[in-house]
Amino acid sequence: MQVALQQLVNGLTVGAFYALIALGYTMVYGIIRLINFAHGDIYAVGAFVGLSLYGLLAALRIQNPILTTLLALVVSMGFTGLLGVLLYRVAYRPLLHARLSILISAIGGSLTLEYGLFLIYSPSFLVYPHLFGRAGPSFGSVDVSWLQVVIFVSGLVLMAALYLLVHRTKIGMAMRALAINQDAARLMGVDVDRVIALTFFLGSVLAAFAGVLTGLYYSQISFLMGFLIGLKAFTAAVLGGIGNIPGAVLGGFLLGILEGLAAGYFSSRWKDVVAFAILIIILVVRPRGLLGERVVERM
Amino acid sequence: MQRWIASLAVFALLLSAAATGAGAQGAAIKIGVPVPLSGGNAKMGDDIAKAATLAVEEWNAKGGVLGRKLEIVSFDDACDAQQSVTAAHKLIDAGVVAVAGGYCSSAAIPASAVYHDAGVAFVADASSNPKLTDQGFENVFRVIGRDDQQGPYAAGFMMKTLKAKRIAIIHDNTVYAKGLADATRAALQGKPGVQVVFFDAVTPGEKDFSAILTKVKSLNPEATYYTGYYPEGGLIAKQFKELGISGKFLAGDANNDPTFIKEAGSASEGVFVTSTPLPQDQSTAKAFIERYKKRWNQDPGPYSALEYDAVNVVIDAIRRAKSVDRAAIIKAIAATKNYRGATGTISFDKKGDRTSVLYITYVIKDGKFVPYGAS
Repeated sequence: MQVALQQLVNGLTVGAFYALIALGYTMVYGIIRLINFAHGDIYAVGAFVGLSLYGLLAALRIQNPILTTLLALVVSMGFTGLLGVLLYRVAYRPLLHARLSILISAIGGSLTLEYGLFLIYSPSFLVYPHLFGRAGPSFGSVDVSWLQVVIFVSGLVLMAALYLLVHRTKIGMAMRALAINQDAARLMGVDVDRVIALTFFLGSVLAAFAGVLTGLYYSQISFLMGFLIGLKAFTAAVLGGIGNIPGAVLGGFLLGILEGLAAGYFSSRWKDVVAFAILIIILVVRPRGLLGERVVERM
Repeated sequence: MQRWIASLAVFALLLSAAATGAGAQGAAIKIGVPVPLSGGNAKMGDDIAKAATLAVEEWNAKGGVLGRKLEIVSFDDACDAQQSVTAAHKLIDAGVVAVAGGYCSSAAIPASAVYHDAGVAFVADASSNPKLTDQGFENVFRVIGRDDQQGPYAAGFMMKTLKAKRIAIIHDNTVYAKGLADATRAALQGKPGVQVVFFDAVTPGEKDFSAILTKVKSLNPEATYYTGYYPEGGLIAKQFKELGISGKFLAGDANNDPTFIKEAGSASEGVFVTSTPLPQDQSTAKAFIERYKKRWNQDPGPYSALEYDAVNVVIDAIRRAKSVDRAAIIKAIAATKNYRGATGTISFDKKGDRTSVLYITYVIKDGKFVPYGAS
């Protein structure tokens, strides 16, 4: 039982990362039906920018771990958010009406970001400062670190904020309108281009948040770090019902937990096989994903 | 008129060909050195190439061998199977009499077939996968140990020194890691009281290993041996400590890298790494290190001393064969007996493996790899 609980904690931590990244996939797909292959690499950029900030702050002799982390998070999220907008402006906007070309453009964007990091930083593995120890509350023999708590709680808060933004504000209403019908939204006076740009900005901000926390929690980052997790997060988005915000969150956590339990009770080698077999079964029963509703209700 | 010019040109060509032919008698003897000079392992390749150059320069300062100077010909194999084959063909076209170098097993194994077909001796300095010499090629040798020699060593260390009874083994399904894990398990099985309680693989490229480690934790191992590479190794060592798993953590020789310590941070303290000794921990390598530092103004890399020995073994064989005939050189290398190199004494067995290979255990102490039991 305690092993199962520990695996649950592990799964929730990994799931929080999946969910944060899955939101970017799902929002962009919801609005312009594009699978943004470069999104995983946006996450990697977030991690690298965060590392640069830590380096800069250390050089300036600012050493308070909480202050430096907040600064690294804010700057990385801002920079990466703008990079997401730039990516949209340069690589996607001119191709919005060419469905296949825009997909190829997304792959190009992904490779550009990966090898941009390769050239600017280095091909080797880089290491984050070890700021937060492994202290934390303990429940029986189940250990949880404060960092895990922070990842989980702050992830949930950000996701809730995003949900409120989309469902309770005017700009959110514009996003939902776009998801239903772009032309109609434009006729109602929605600035389509700005709303799409904002979507890219928000998705990239969440990815950068996950990137910096990845660095802090796992301590190791590399220029290809976005590839595998991007694939998993995309899967999570599909599982939850692509285009649906609570669905992406649910899918992320579910995938994380499934992987944890599969590794714990079958074999680590079969972890992905088991997790993905369950996913396929779910998708066969519910092709639109767990929370994927009628098309009109996207987001 | 045109015809006359053409025949003149042909004559000139013939003349120049004759000139190079005559010059070949006194030309330098070429030794091929394939190394990764691009990609993630470029630093290793550079260290290896520098050691080869040093070896040849020292012989040339003493007048070369057989009255002729020596020359290194180097091509980039990028640690890539395809590029290493291209590099091998280029070396043979350049007229090398023997090859000494390489780094990655995955590049050395395909290239070794090319050298075999051309009848050129190949002395590997750093490729430890058993398959390299198990192919049965009479022209392939190596001065580094085999992964299936390290396994029994690691097993012995866990059983005898650490007195561990319950042992967990984690690999990553790559050729190297799986081979080392299998060899370790084979050496542990059937030993009284010893039990391999866990044997499974992680996925390279992932960052979260808490699920597999939680399972390891529930089995209460007294020692856990990870046989993969350092990028995952550092993370596993860190998460191992964070989960509070019982017993010692050990890692194979692909974790003998400072990045391992940086990744794991304070969790790396007390971690054991089985490995061949680094040059600075070998008394036989002292003179080599000094000469290397003097020549290149930097410390030798982890494989520099092995490459230095590999090149020297080839040159020594040429000296004994009294010939630059490729087949004669292969025979002379096979007959190498107790050659005293920077990494100790070198002899080869029938397969071309080095007969006496030393493995030691490092323990990480204050952020450094320290030979275990030395302090």
